[in-house]
Amino acid sequence: MSADTIAAIASPAGPGARGIVRISGPGARALVRALWVGAPPELVRRGLVLGRVDDGRGTQPVLFLWMPGPRSFTGEDVAELHAPGSPPLLAALFERVTALGARPARAGEFTRRAFEHGRIDLTRAEGVLELVAARNEAEARAASQLLLGGLGSRVDGVRDALDDLRALCEASLDFDEADTGHVAPRELVDRSDRVRARLAEALAFERARGAASGLPRVALAGAPNAGKSTLFNALLRTERAITSPESGTTRDVLEAEVDLDGRRVVLLDLPGLDGDARGLERAAQQGARERLAGADLVLWVVDAAAGPHDLARERRALASGVPVVLAWNQIDRPSAGAAPDPAALDVAEVVPTSGARGQGLARLAHALGAALATAASEEGGPLARELARRHVRGLECSRAELAAAQAVLASGGPLDLAAEHLRRASAGLDELRGATTAEDLLDRIFARFCLGK
Amino acid sequence: MEAASHTHPAPRPAAGAHDVVVVGGGHAGIEAALAAARVGARVALVSLRLDRVGEMSCNPAIGGVGKGQIVREVDALGGAMGAVADATGIQFRLLNTGKGLAVQSPRCQSDRHLYREAATAAVRSHPGVELVEGAAAGLLVADGAARGVRLEDGRRLTAVAVVVTTGTFLRAVMHTGEAQAAGGRAGEGTSAGLSGDLERLGLVLGRLKTGTPPRLAADSIDWDALEAQHGDPRPVPFSARTDRARFPALPQIACHLTHTNERTHAIIRANIQRAPMYAGRIQGVGPRYCPSVEDKVMRFADKERHLVFLEPEGLRTDVVYVNGVSTSLPAEVQEQLVRTIEGLSRARFLRHGYAVEYDFVAPSQLSDTLAVKRVPGLFLAGQINGTSGYEEAAGQGLLAGANAALWALDQPAFVLRRDEAYVGVMVDDLVVSNPTEPYRMFTSRAEHRLILRCDNAEERLVPRARAAGLVGDDAVERLATRRAEAARVEAALARIRRDGKSLAELLLRPDVTWDGLVELCPELAVMGFDEHVARAVATGLKYQGYVERARSDVERLRAQDALEIPAELDYRTIRGLANEARDKLDRLRPRTLGAAGRIAGVRPPDVALLAVHVERWRRARSAARRGEA
Repeated sequence: MSADTIAAIASPAGPGARGIVRISGPGARALVRALWVGAPPELVRRGLVLGRVDDGRGTQPVLFLWMPGPRSFTGEDVAELHAPGSPPLLAALFERVTALGARPARAGEFTRRAFEHGRIDLTRAEGVLELVAARNEAEARAASQLLLGGLGSRVDGVRDALDDLRALCEASLDFDEADTGHVAPRELVDRSDRVRARLAEALAFERARGAASGLPRVALAGAPNAGKSTLFNALLRTERAITSPESGTTRDVLEAEVDLDGRRVVLLDLPGLDGDARGLERAAQQGARERLAGADLVLWVVDAAAGPHDLARERRALASGVPVVLAWNQIDRPSAGAAPDPAALDVAEVVPTSGARGQGLARLAHALGAALATAASEEGGPLARELARRHVRGLECSRAELAAAQAVLASGGPLDLAAEHLRRASAGLDELRGATTAEDLLDRIFARFCLGK
Repeated sequence: MEAASHTHPAPRPAAGAHDVVVVGGGHAGIEAALAAARVGARVALVSLRLDRVGEMSCNPAIGGVGKGQIVREVDALGGAMGAVADATGIQFRLLNTGKGLAVQSPRCQSDRHLYREAATAAVRSHPGVELVEGAAAGLLVADGAARGVRLEDGRRLTAVAVVVTTGTFLRAVMHTGEAQAAGGRAGEGTSAGLSGDLERLGLVLGRLKTGTPPRLAADSIDWDALEAQHGDPRPVPFSARTDRARFPALPQIACHLTHTNERTHAIIRANIQRAPMYAGRIQGVGPRYCPSVEDKVMRFADKERHLVFLEPEGLRTDVVYVNGVSTSLPAEVQEQLVRTIEGLSRARFLRHGYAVEYDFVAPSQLSDTLAVKRVPGLFLAGQINGTSGYEEAAGQGLLAGANAALWALDQPAFVLRRDEAYVGVMVDDLVVSNPTEPYRMFTSRAEHRLILRCDNAEERLVPRARAAGLVGDDAVERLATRRAEAARVEAALARIRRDGKSLAELLLRPDVTWDGLVELCPELAVMGFDEHVARAVATGLKYQGYVERARSDVERLRAQDALEIPAELDYRTIRGLANEARDKLDRLRPRTLGAAGRIAGVRPPDVALLAVHVERWRRARSAARRGEA
């Protein structure tokens, strides 16, 4: 099936300390020999060698990593050429590799091959995906944990314990009381406690991983003192954020979960974005900008009474590619100007509000909800979140079934019903591991891999 | 493609003297002949000895956990086993009553002699069945299709379809210690010719082993020293056709319990080298489920004793079956070890235990109608397919006989799904299995067991059986009567209230059962409900939520489950499959993704991998088709 050999520049785009050209497939061995200057390395065992390769224009030093199949990442012979991270050098090397017969890899193709060769199961494939799609360091760390024997082995552990429990339970059902296979309900309860503990552990891990990305994130952004915290509090209907008339009160990012128009979201109150900030302010600003880029929706707050504004410039300072709703705030003030045209500013909607008086909040919530719905339907929602939700849902389902089984056992209910709950608990884990994954899900997952991963 | 399994595999040849010839008069052969005849075929049943038709070769008992459900299904499909067991049972018990309503199973001790007589009479009296005594020497084959059977005396029985149900008789060898004898049952011969014919037709055969315990004389047992086990005070019949006013028909007896002990185990350990399985003379693999006593002692060395049931083989016989001491040790060792058991110190042996080693046909060569895929007109049922047990044999016999007849009469095939019947579970398991030990039914094999209960067998299967011609209007009328009675019970449970709740609602509490309701509400007892129907209604209500969930699962999974795996898929090209999974998939060639996932050793990641390849193959094929067009 994977008869051809694929290659890609696997290091991040742009200049860096080191770049990688990765090659995978049956032709990798011949390719390395053709590239090598001098006596080619012995391609038997996995290993790292320093050498020189000919990129067609000259020779360059490379650190060469050989991973013979089937015990490589993709399950095929894999060669990695680690070269100085200069884009023209890497491009030349890559060009040479393709000239020697390798086909440029399509998005996600390395991982797809790994999956097809049984090197990774679905949960790990998702880990890779998340890693490449990660938008900040925390997400990337969580994803790499997942990849390095994270959820897969955790689920395996739960699955083993659950299988043991089910085996006991089934044996008890299939043999009469007098027979040797019979197991006392007390022992079943004890064992199910152990499974439950392992399941809780897997869930905690998954929750922690998904915590940063479990719900859609709406970031409040705007100039200092535009009234963001007041609006944040009004949306929360609590006094969580400390508000004050002094500029720059919100130094840290505040987060809270809130219902917006029936949709559960995480609301983030960011420090005011101010190009002239210094010192600590500046560090806070940096954090704010990262959060902004990671948001699903930006609620841009503008003080309607503080004109004149350079709205076009402020708009450009916001993250691109994230939908924006503009709150034309503090309209209760006499000096408030007229609301701008949404189309001119490339925002989804402009909503006149007053955080202090609670005006326009319902309309604002509705506008935010609608913008989120549109974004979700266009993009399918941020992937990490989708995956985290799927995992938590699968594990939660298993845990609920296990709890139901325990309830049946504890109340002296019929063992066959307890067994049915246990069967479902284990089916939930199977689903998570990809047993009943439809091809469309696979397509969606693999199509979103970055090149070279 | 899904429809393909519901049609027959190949065109039929011209008609023979019979429509269907059934080879073998065991529990599979009887149900096969009767089912074929009910469907409307002219049937010949060939047996080595007509006085042994319906013999209980091993345990004189019918039913048990998982097996009792099959008997109820055979009954709902018009089969004889349940009614014969009801007429000849000498102890009836409902097993597993403490474990849940879906896993309760009826079991009975039978009078071996009367069972055989009643079973023979059922076949003999059935219109359209001709009994033929003779040894089948081989198959008649024309153009690669089965056309009948050749007997040793030269007679030829031609037919449109052949059902082979030869049990343990193919190249059978009996072992007692170092002594060996050809034969599938004590005092009877073997059929070697059929094995050769099956091999010449290209079928792959394997070897399996089963064993049977000694039989003792009743008057040599010290009964007073032993604990008695009685049947249920108000026994429940297997068959919906049994007249409950005259049930049980025979006087009821008690069985007795005893145990092996350290002395017994010491004798076994000292002589283990003389047990054929350990000495390596038996190539076939024996069952884990009812292991020989030497297996139990060697494998579970930490157990100080093993349970032994002493089961009388009938009312007018002094033969006692020693359940739990299946053995193939030499005769004198058997006598020594049995006499160490409490109550058996004076035991007189009427027959020694022995092991039987026999050929079976790897069942992956069968379709879900139990037709041999590569030989049109040939159907197999029972132990020849690598199963164990009368009930498993009867279920397969019924299905194979019905399909042989439907094929001969050019009617649509009769296939049961996993969510319809235990028989469907069994056949679906068999066609993707490669048994290394005889296949026995367990409730845990049935993922839909909450739906597949003893109490709803008629509800599940009578309409299907009627459509296939397996049952008559009488069964449909019984079902209608049952439904009317069920409606009456349901109405009462909805109407009567206690503690502010209807009785139907009270049933949802874990600890409330029908008996509890009757206690709480004595008026139920005087409403004259049919107790069986009332209990079934209570079970239905109690399990309703679960059953509804299970049904929606069935619907949801059906599409994925039914995804066809292309027959030409080369599993060796799928890198990354675990070796065990690859070997098994390659050998068993499951028809659907669902079947692939149910193969032992095929894990979820293997199934996911397979799903990717099937989808890829499908897309490549449709792209190729577009290219052609």
